[in-house]
Amino acid sequence: MALVEIRNVHKSFGEVEVLRGIDLAVEKGEIVTIIGRSGSGKSTLLRCINGLEQINGGEILVAGERVHSRSTDLRKLREHVGIVFQQFNLFPHMTVARNITLAPVLTGRVAKGDAARELALKVLAQVGLEEKIDAYPGQLSGGQQQRVAIARCLAMSPYLMLFDEVTSALDPELVGEVLKVMEDLATQGMTMILVTHEMNFARNVASKLVFMHAGMVHEEGRPADLFANPATPELANFISSVR
Amino acid sequence: MRGFTISDVLTMLAAVQWTATLVVLALAFGAPLALLLARMCTGRSRLARLLATGILQLVQGVPVLGLLMFFYFGMPVFLGIKVPALVSVGAAFTIFTAAFLGEIWRGGIQAVHVAQGEAAACLGLTRWQTFRHVIAPQAFRIALPATVGFLVQLIKNTSLASVVGFVELARAGQLASAATFQPLLSYACVAAIYFALCFPLTLWSRSLEDKLNGAR
Repeated sequence: MALVEIRNVHKSFGEVEVLRGIDLAVEKGEIVTIIGRSGSGKSTLLRCINGLEQINGGEILVAGERVHSRSTDLRKLREHVGIVFQQFNLFPHMTVARNITLAPVLTGRVAKGDAARELALKVLAQVGLEEKIDAYPGQLSGGQQQRVAIARCLAMSPYLMLFDEVTSALDPELVGEVLKVMEDLATQGMTMILVTHEMNFARNVASKLVFMHAGMVHEEGRPADLFANPATPELANFISSVR
Repeated sequence: MRGFTISDVLTMLAAVQWTATLVVLALAFGAPLALLLARMCTGRSRLARLLATGILQLVQGVPVLGLLMFFYFGMPVFLGIKVPALVSVGAAFTIFTAAFLGEIWRGGIQAVHVAQGEAAACLGLTRWQTFRHVIAPQAFRIALPATVGFLVQLIKNTSLASVVGFVELARAGQLASAATFQPLLSYACVAAIYFALCFPLTLWSRSLEDKLNGAR
């Protein structure tokens, strides 16, 4: 069974149905990028996967657990499913070290003090920011903040990471450093689902490409195939418009 | 009749301790209630939200004098027990503090971006851990200048306790004025003492505000 199974998911905001029957499976170790025009429901779908949004129909299973079932301990599930946001959402009143170790300490994965600091250093090394361990988020550039946000997720050793347009709020010259970190994660075998506008990443790093249109999965397949031979005019149009 | 002497001033200064007692009582019991109300107003339960909002609006629409009268004259009538003035007056200021601080802190909590709570929840924190470590420290910073500002209001409003005969600073001034027939001098003295208490707090509140704005 796939790590993430999305079955016929429907989701409405008031009168507007943003997800209109989504089916998608993500295997362990896959890098799935979701592309599509804004308003196509990409971010909403991502937020449904870790239960940030309720759904109106269908079901989502993560590691065999039904995310939207009442009996599911969402808190427990989220310890293993990391999410990185467009706006970083670091805690501004805490140092980088505390941002990273807060959750591991509170959930009992690591003891306070030296062990926690060691963990912070370890994950900061993965994003190349060890020297910023005692800085506050406000003292970092956008790209550095986003790398810290990724490190904060890694500290929980998740088996699945979600990325919600993580480079969209960055200045163009800072996008590369964040993408580099994500490529490293991909080569280490992390299962990742990304909503992105970075077509090069989608083309070169992803193992699966999903094109969403009007609240549905319009096309999915290997990135190279989809980019070379889009089956529908919608995807062809989208590809030529972002090129 | 006697003249206005230094001993009248000393009596007033001594009465400041009862003003201070009222302030401390109001904060000690009112602040936890305020926190509870603020949490209820911003919580997930609709019922709790309605209830807390209702309480805040009700108390804020009633003058402090009304609260004082209600507790001073009402408690013996409704509860059938005679309580010391300090208890009824203290209760009135507790309710006053709970409502106004509750409103200030509610605003502080809501000023912290929703995404902060989401980020904490996504890391597997419980709702209490999220509030305790992520929301509350940021909300406190935002609400601190207004909280200190409210403290000034509270100090000045305790003067209303004089109408039910509770001898705090304002009532001590009334007594001195009656004994010496020097109302102007007596009340000027009272005003000066209130000012001396409140002015440093006002300055502190201002400097906190500047610091907060500078940090943005």
